[in-house]
Amino acid sequence: MSALASDTALPLLDIAGLHYRYPGARADALAGLELSIAPGEFVAVVGANGSGKSTLARLVGGLEKPAAARRAWACGHDLLTEDGRLEARRDVGVLFQNPENQLVAECVEDDIAFGLENLGWDPAAIRARVDEMLARFHLQDLQFREPHLLSGGQKQRTALAGVLAIPRRALVLDEPTAMLDPAGRAEVLAAAARLRDEGLGVLYITQEMDEVLDADRVVALERGSVVYAGGVTGLFEQPELVRRLGLGLPPAGELALELAHRGRRLEPLPLSVDALVAALETGR
Amino acid sequence: MKAAIAQYYPGHSPLHRLDPRSKFVAVSVLAVALFVRDSFAGLAVFAAAAVVAYALSGVPASWFWRAFRPLLWLVGLTFLAQVLFAPGEPFFSVWIIHLSWRGLELAAFLSLRLVVLVLIGSVLTLTTPPMALTDGLAWLGRPLRRLHVPTDELALMVTIALRFIPTLLVEMDQIMRAQRARGADFRRGGLRERAKALVPVLIPLFVLSFRRADELALAMEARCYRPGIVRTRLHPLRAGAGDAVLLAMTAAVITAGLLV
Amino acid sequence: MSAARSGAARSGAAPTGGTSLPGMALECRGVGFTYAEAESPIPALRDVSFALESGGTLALLGASGSGKSTLLQVIRGLDTAEAGAVLLDGAGPGEAAYLALQRQVGLVFQTPELQLFASTAREDVAFGPRRLGWSETAVEAAVDEALQLAGLPAAEFGDRHPYALSGGEQRRLALAGVLAMRPRLLLLDEPFVSLDPATRRELAAILARLKGAGVTLVLATHDVDLAWALCDDLLVLDEGCVATAGAWSAGPEGARVLAAHHLREPFIVDLWRRLGRDPALAPRTAAEAADALS
Repeated sequence: MSALASDTALPLLDIAGLHYRYPGARADALAGLELSIAPGEFVAVVGANGSGKSTLARLVGGLEKPAAARRAWACGHDLLTEDGRLEARRDVGVLFQNPENQLVAECVEDDIAFGLENLGWDPAAIRARVDEMLARFHLQDLQFREPHLLSGGQKQRTALAGVLAIPRRALVLDEPTAMLDPAGRAEVLAAAARLRDEGLGVLYITQEMDEVLDADRVVALERGSVVYAGGVTGLFEQPELVRRLGLGLPPAGELALELAHRGRRLEPLPLSVDALVAALETGR
Repeated sequence: MKAAIAQYYPGHSPLHRLDPRSKFVAVSVLAVALFVRDSFAGLAVFAAAAVVAYALSGVPASWFWRAFRPLLWLVGLTFLAQVLFAPGEPFFSVWIIHLSWRGLELAAFLSLRLVVLVLIGSVLTLTTPPMALTDGLAWLGRPLRRLHVPTDELALMVTIALRFIPTLLVEMDQIMRAQRARGADFRRGGLRERAKALVPVLIPLFVLSFRRADELALAMEARCYRPGIVRTRLHPLRAGAGDAVLLAMTAAVITAGLLV
Repeated sequence: MSAARSGAARSGAAPTGGTSLPGMALECRGVGFTYAEAESPIPALRDVSFALESGGTLALLGASGSGKSTLLQVIRGLDTAEAGAVLLDGAGPGEAAYLALQRQVGLVFQTPELQLFASTAREDVAFGPRRLGWSETAVEAAVDEALQLAGLPAAEFGDRHPYALSGGEQRRLALAGVLAMRPRLLLLDEPFVSLDPATRRELAAILARLKGAGVTLVLATHDVDLAWALCDDLLVLDEGCVATAGAWSAGPEGARVLAAHHLREPFIVDLWRRLGRDPALAPRTAAEAADALS
């Protein structure tokens, strides 16, 4: 285990044939899931409501016990064992969708400290780390603010600071921008982009197709199984698959598809406004 | 939207800086002494101490008033009950009402005692954040751990419950609004009908709360919380010279109050 | 009373899939509102004025906390404007018909779970019509029609438990609960949040059908592209004040206002500008844009 943990070339997540079913459910929420992620990699996870994205976050974070798996390693810890899951919770951070349901303490700084208190850090070390997080997420002015008086974006930044206060090696973000306005969304996205630069492996679950464009790879889920894993453009170049999955293309891609229906095919399929403008102008 | 309890008033007064444990101990023994001693002279000593504490707290009078207002009816009721039904030679009698000097005196004493008690209690809750207070209580309750009472877990539970009171109130307001927008009327009808109208409000509130509990537990576990672990604290409880002074002064006040 | 009678009268005819729903004109004149229990009583709405004609569609944009939800609640009458007035079909709060008109304003809240409480979808949708005092047959017809409109046919979904539905289905059930009261003015608070793209498209299609049927729509959202596809008018709120109100012009003025409030321009408008075309003539949907470009 220690040999694995010290070798950064090995994937942070290495999961194969993983199954999970909620108690009382009739079908598997995850059915033979395959997933890997390397340090510094930013992988987007997409899929319709109920395709298993949030369950994936729970499993990878060591928060649920897999029913079965061929391999289930998270940061060198075996998710199939109780001890492995507890260790994984320390290395893999999970940020959930609803910021309201993640803040436990009565003010911002106490909430950021919560994880470190659980790990039994020394008060002086907690203080230093909390101050570092407050500065990094621009929360100094809100240090003593009560959670219910924060805006959605501020809540989600506080929650992210609380998750990352514990030094992490991988991070799962479960639709962190879904409930935020454009300004709050930009705040969280900027914070997530910095993490990737710092060498964390980031699993970014989202419904926003334009947020997928910056990912290194994309994984698409359908009924708990991976139906696509690979480059971002590779997914969007299969519009039938994208439609079947209950997804869509970024707006530029949707427009390009409409053009293709009308006999004007743009190659390669433009996915951003810039690409679309360039393709339309060269095609003239 | 405000809960009808004395809320914490953020500040930096000497009382704010004291250890919640010593504040809690001081308030508890003062309250006991207040009930042991039944003379106006003793009451005057405790009242004076309460007023000094209030002045030291730096909390605006309006905050005290807000904490006090919901208890006003209790004070009024105590007064009325004593005036009307107390023993003693009546100097005025109408129907079942008999006023006596002894009764008036008792009524004044009991209601004043209640006022002093509330004042002392509010100084504690207004100058101590709820989380510090629950931490302090958890520490004081540590001997109970030997009896397998999970005091730390209980303290965390209370903290979380307090944290979610405003959220729940907002949610309940939203549910009622959604139903008013569909024609519900919570103000019309007798008690029975009003109670019936509340059932559809409580159902979504419960469902949402259970889901919240589930998500919250998950988020806590994701930050390495487990029941039974030994947690450290960002703000560990730390008693200082000020707490020694507080306890010494409390002892002095109680001695004075019991002896005068 | 009059709402009950007209409702019963309308449902006397066979349900027509909502194609005959009329709209309602909306006007806000200097509306102001302050939350009484706020820590610091900063007005949530200040001097909000705009007009929307019957059958019009208004996109209500602005950051979180800018007053969008408050404005919808004031229009529905759940909060009472402390200054100014909300006029419905030209009638003010003092007039006899006002209460009946207010009952024809539907409001769909952001979180569907807050709005669902009955043990079957059918019962949940019936809550509103029953409060209007309609006959049970009229209620039944209205429920079936509303479920159909919301894409949850009664035969398939009527007996399902609301909490057993998916997130997208719950959202549409909450909408059905409001549609069953046959609103002439429909207010929607962030209807697209947390939905996957397919469900978003379905919901947008339902709203487009209501628009086509003549229902007046007010759509509070952060999704500029969907708002552009659905709405002809634009109202941007900033800290409770109107930043801009009126027909949604995609010209330089519109771009400036959106940028000033951390909102991006609709994708198609941006594209039109970059292609050197007149953004004021930018089409509303990808299909229309493709027609123009191919």
